Amino acid sequence: GSAGAEGRGPARTSSELIAYKNANDMPFSKELAIQVDQKNEAILLPIYGSMVPFHVSTVKSVTSHQDNRTCTIRIIFNVPGTPFTPHDANSLKFPGATYLKEITFRSKDPRHSSEVVQLIKTLRRHVASRESERAERAT
Amino acid sequence: MTDGHLFNNILLGGRGGTNPGQLKVHAGGIAWRKQGGGKIIDVDKADIARVTWMKVPRAYQLGVRLKDGLFYKFIGFREQDVSNLTNYIQKNIGLTPEEKQLSVTGHNWGEIDINGNMLTFLVGSKQAFEVSLADVAQTQLQGKTDVYMEFHVDDTTGATEKDSLMDLSFHIPTSNTQFVGDENRP
Repeated sequence: GSAGAEGRGPARTSSELIAYKNANDMPFSKELAIQVDQKNEAILLPIYGSMVPFHVSTVKSVTSHQDNRTCTIRIIFNVPGTPFTPHDANSLKFPGATYLKEITFRSKDPRHSSEVVQLIKTLRRHVASRESERAERAT
Repeated sequence: MTDGHLFNNILLGGRGGTNPGQLKVHAGGIAWRKQGGGKIIDVDKADIARVTWMKVPRAYQLGVRLKDGLFYKFIGFREQDVSNLTNYIQKNIGLTPEEKQLSVTGHNWGEIDINGNMLTFLVGSKQAFEVSLADVAQTQLQGKTDVYMEFHVDDTTGATEKDSLMDLSFHIPTSNTQFVGDENRP
């Protein structure tokens, strides 16, 4: 069971980081566009008409690409098997799991797309350095 | 003959975003009409396989799965609508709506469930998201562990979302036993 992954109280290790406790905590948006929730350290992705949250600690990298009129945003998530990812503990914890590895969106708005990519990168760096400091202090 | 229940401002969710409209649940089935005209969905109760409720941010979502595999989701119900409609659907459509839960933990690991046309990604047994396999343009096995799915780019319909899904891939570690010997994997 993965019930242990939904620990209560403040998250201790990165594998226990959760974005939201329940659906009401998620920000509401009328627009279906990629969003960054700084407060909850989450990114929200529009998939089939719903906003789907991912904690920023699951993100490995994010890139945007522009040519002519199309603009794409590509998000790569941490999966086991890559060294030094905070999720290595999870591959031991959840050996049977399937991982979302990569997702690409096409954006109609180039300014929005470069903005969210910047925001995700900054938030990711911030959370990663805080978590590694925390890990250092713990040892 | 009962009149049924009428709801204004119910969003039809799906690929391309959401559109507001009017939903009617009546003794013969479920009907939705797009605000300002256009798309109409008319489902006969005999064609409905399953009805589900899910709590989503700020509202409840009614999921309707048809026997031919199609799936509709209607978003925008209030809490009191849920109990009223549940009773009505039980009585008139003869199905008991099941409760599904949305995963909001933000984890990217879980399991895949394929039911009809829909692929659902579950995190801790709760639904994180679902996509329709009918919209998949091509799939590819990348290496031994990754499954890549590319979605049709649809410019013709009134896509309301600013950012639209192009492709995604799943990493299925060799320790996964769910798909061993299954030739129907995504």
